[in-house]
Amino acid sequence: MLKFEDRSVELRPGETVLEALERAGIDAPSSCRSGNCQTCLHRAVEGVPPPESQVGLTQGQKALGFFLPCVCLPASPLTITRPDDVGARRDAVIRAIEPLAPDVIRLRVDADDFAYRPGQFLELVADGDLRRHYSLASHPEDDPFLEMHIRLHENGRMSRRLGEFKPGDRLHVAGPSGTCFYEGVHEDQRLLLIGAGTGLAPLYGVLRDALKRGHLGPIRLYHGARSRDGLYLDEELKALSRTWAHVDYRPCLLDPNAPAGGDVAATALHAEQDVKDSAIFLCGGENLVKRLKRDFFMRGVSMKNIRSDAFTPSG
Amino acid sequence: MSNLYERLGGENAVNAAVELFYRKVLADGRIARFFDGVDMDQQIAKQKSFLTMAFGGPNNYTGADMRNAHKRLVAKGLNDSHVDAVIENLNYTLRDLGVPEKEVKEVAAIANSVRDDVLNR
Ligand SMILES: Cc1cc2nc3c(=O)[nH]c(=O)nc-3n(C[C@H](O)[C@H](O)[C@H](O)COP(=O)(O)OP(=O)(O)OC[C@H]3O[C@@H](n4cnc5c(N)ncnc54)[C@H](O)[C@@H]3O)c2cc1C
Ligand code: HEM
Ligand code: FES
Repeated sequence: MLKFEDRSVELRPGETVLEALERAGIDAPSSCRSGNCQTCLHRAVEGVPPPESQVGLTQGQKALGFFLPCVCLPASPLTITRPDDVGARRDAVIRAIEPLAPDVIRLRVDADDFAYRPGQFLELVADGDLRRHYSLASHPEDDPFLEMHIRLHENGRMSRRLGEFKPGDRLHVAGPSGTCFYEGVHEDQRLLLIGAGTGLAPLYGVLRDALKRGHLGPIRLYHGARSRDGLYLDEELKALSRTWAHVDYRPCLLDPNAPAGGDVAATALHAEQDVKDSAIFLCGGENLVKRLKRDFFMRGVSMKNIRSDAFTPSG
Repeated sequence: MSNLYERLGGENAVNAAVELFYRKVLADGRIARFFDGVDMDQQIAKQKSFLTMAFGGPNNYTGADMRNAHKRLVAKGLNDSHVDAVIENLNYTLRDLGVPEKEVKEVAAIANSVRDDVLNR
């Protein structure tokens, strides 16, 4: 039994999921048709795809049910969606909205049955059609709300709208998405979390999740900001690192006079020479994430040990 | 005699080679620009496809697929010298992994055999 979204798809004996989708006239991309290129990636939202259809995917992807239809001969019923399908929108009510820094707010919303992993992101929907992605800093087992840290851009459409919202106002959320969360990490592995600005939101979620799951290896968190105000969780993070001997918090203020640029990327790249076996999480602006990902990979870190979310502007 | 892909070690050989190969390509000023812009995780998956094919492993690529996959790059100036550079990096990667010279040559020959399709001519 195979379903694509809410539609039944006939699966003939010996046929792959990709072949069945194509025969049913569903637009499904493919290229190598042998389980390597990942062009055909889909996600099982019900049922468990066979392990041979998940070879080469990250632990995070596997945990979320991603699989490769071109090499998938299902042994049990599957309901599948496109990889970027965020599912139905759900109602959300603002519980709290308050400043963390002059241009950063903390938004807490209540939404029923929203399952997620800390560090994933959701789609926030205002006024029916204004949609933006925001990462989750909350923890589903500790927090009864979804928490986001949002930088307000002067002329940003969502930014302006958020400036007007107050507790009790209604929004929608969809998702979650993303594979930048604590999965496939060894408990003794060194964790290296690097972010700038509100890139701290998912890292804070990951950090709390790692501690909750009993992570034992050293954890180092770099947070970059342009000004002291921008180190918006400074107190909480200092307190965390006092409580947990293996947590090392490194606030990084932008220093334009430093020889290598003085931003958090330069600081971390300089300090982190021996990273080969670390599990690395990178979040924030596109340039920061791209640069760190590339440089750490070139230093010998395997791509499967680098998880990242780039806060690419929409549109 | 087992086939080339099996002699190299199959999927494990591809996995061992893919990141080494990708690092060499990104460090090679002659060709790095063709691999920029595309997300690195996606690029790794494409390189796995490339290596599986060059190692003589199971794949379903046709000449037309190879033309399509590289059309965008040909428009950016892809030519024989770049194919040579890719094959050179492939050779270095295999030697790093201790693959015997005979197999290195066989792999290079497979890669070379799709040159005209890759270059869309
Ligand atoms: C996976 C993902 C996760 C994200 N998580 C977060 C998060 O946790 N917190 C958060 O604050 N944002 C996050 N973002 C960014 C967010 O989705 C929006 O892009 C951002 O809030 C701007 O939306 P806006 O409607 O206010 O501005 P828009 O109306 O979309 O843009 C207005 C103007 O602002 C500029 N602009 C927009 N974003 C940036 C930027 N990052 N840097 C510089 N200029 C910019 C644009 O160039 C444009 O001119 C995330 C993005 C992605 C893709
Ligand atoms: C030597 C013979 C070559 C072979 C056999 C080969 C094979 C392949 C294969 C199988 C793919 C994956 C296609 C897919 O499924 O999408 C691919 C993609 C790619 N190849 Fe090649 N390739 C060759 C030469 C080159 C050269 C010379 C370059 C550039 C210098 C190059 C750059 C790329 C890039 C950038 C992609 C990714 C394209 C994309 O994602 O849009 N290849 N190649
Ligand atoms: S088409 Fe390449 S992995 Fe499925």
